[in-house]
Parts: sequence; C-alpha cells; structure tokens
Amino acid sequence: MKKSSLWVLAALTAVLIAGCQNQRAPAEQAVAAADSSLTSTRDMAMRYAPDQLQAVDTQLNSAKDKLAKGDYKGVLADIPAINSAINNLRDTATAKQQEVQAANDKAKDAWGPMSTDVPKMVDAIQSRVDILSKSHHLPKGVTKDTLAAAKSSVDSMKAVWNDASTAATAGDYSTAVSKGQTVKDQASQVMHSLGMTSS
Amino acid sequence: MADEKNPAADNPYTQIHVVQSGDSLSKIAQKYYGDASLYTKIFEANRDVLSDPNKIKPGQKLRIP
Repeated sequence: MKKSSLWVLAALTAVLIAGCQNQRAPAEQAVAAADSSLTSTRDMAMRYAPDQLQAVDTQLNSAKDKLAKGDYKGVLADIPAINSAINNLRDTATAKQQEVQAANDKAKDAWGPMSTDVPKMVDAIQSRVDILSKSHHLPKGVTKDTLAAAKSSVDSMKAVWNDASTAATAGDYSTAVSKGQTVKDQASQVMHSLGMTSS
Repeated sequence: MADEKNPAADNPYTQIHVVQSGDSLSKIAQKYYGDASLYTKIFEANRDVLSDPNKIKPGQKLRIP
C-alpha cells in the first residue's frame, strides 16, 4: 500500500475515534442525569405507579448497557424518550398520590360518626346476646342456631373493628372505613336476626 | 366500649318498647327474651324512668337491652 494511503487511513481512523470519544462524555452525563431524575421520584413511583416504573427502569438499563458497550450514539438517541418517560412517570405517580390522599381525606370525614356508632351497635348486640344466653327459652323468631351465630358474629365484629381502629390510628382512613362498614353491615344483619328493631 | 352502670342509657341502638295498655315488665321480657323472669334486666336499664317494676304506664318508652 502507498505511504500516502496509509496516512489517509490513519487520519480517518483518528477522526473516527475522536468523534466517538466526543460523544462519550455527553452520553455519560445524559445517563447520569436521567438516573438521578428517576431516583428522586422512585419511592413515590414504586408506591403509586409500579408497572410504569418497571418500564422506565428497563429503558434506562438498556441505555446503560449501550453506554457500557460504547454505543454513545445509541445512548444519545434514546435519552430524549427516556427523559420523557421519567417525566410522565412523575406526573402519573403525583396524580395518583393526590387521588389517594383525596380519597383518604373523604374517608376521614366518614370515620368520625362511624367510630362512635359502630361500637354502640356491637355493644347493644352483646347486651342482648348476654341476656338471651341466660333465658330459659328464646323469643319468637330466635332459634338456638340464631343465637349461636350472633355470638360468633360479635367476636368477629370486634376483631374486624379492632383492625379498623388500628388502620384509623395509622392514618389509613380508607381501610378503616371499609372495615368499619363491614362491621356495620354485619351488625345490622345480626340485630335483625335477634329481633332488635324497635316496636 | 360502654358505661358499665347502665350501658343501655346512652346507646341509640338499644331497642325501645313503647308500653301498651295491659303490658307488664314480665310480659315485655317474655316477648323480647322468651323468659318473663328476666324482667329485672329491663327494670335495671330503665331506673331513670321506673321506680317500681310493677308500675309502668302506656306510652312510656322503655329500653330493652
């Protein structure tokens, strides 16, 4: 090969390597910035948008793989979409967090009256069950099975109510109200079965 | 969960019986408990309105614990 051709080949190779190296720093910085951005939103995203977080993680890991393999051009081509995905993830998680908070605030309002009413329902049932347990006979419409079922229900209602109260203490009013409503519905049924409606 | 002296007193879910002519605490206990001898439970739950278990009046609202 002619000396001049060798020089041209060497020069072209140098330009190529320099070009690649010029993209290395921007690619590394872009990946680092995206990683940092995702980290700042990770906890919230894990709680409120876990599937979307997983998808973004996959995208970013792919870019990191390309970076490791020296595909800086590929990294730089992918970064805009990754950044957009991270922003979307943050928006989705924030919106979901606000939605959950609003629901919890609404549940907190419902918990107030429920927290006084439901225990009183259970107390009234417990009182009736205790008295009927001492009765030599049972009133019309109430069988031994009905009474046994009512006794069992009182135990389960107290257990579920305890869970509801624990949730409320922890600030999870949505769970508290859901469990509280379960107890309230069950209490209504038991009161009906024992003939506890007013005449 | 409730006041032990008279838990029925301030419980809005305690059943109420409106006394009818001819009622007695024994008859009322028979109706709600299946056992007339348990009339004392009704008397105890209504000490604020009943001084004598044998004296009830039509129209009185009695708590049935």
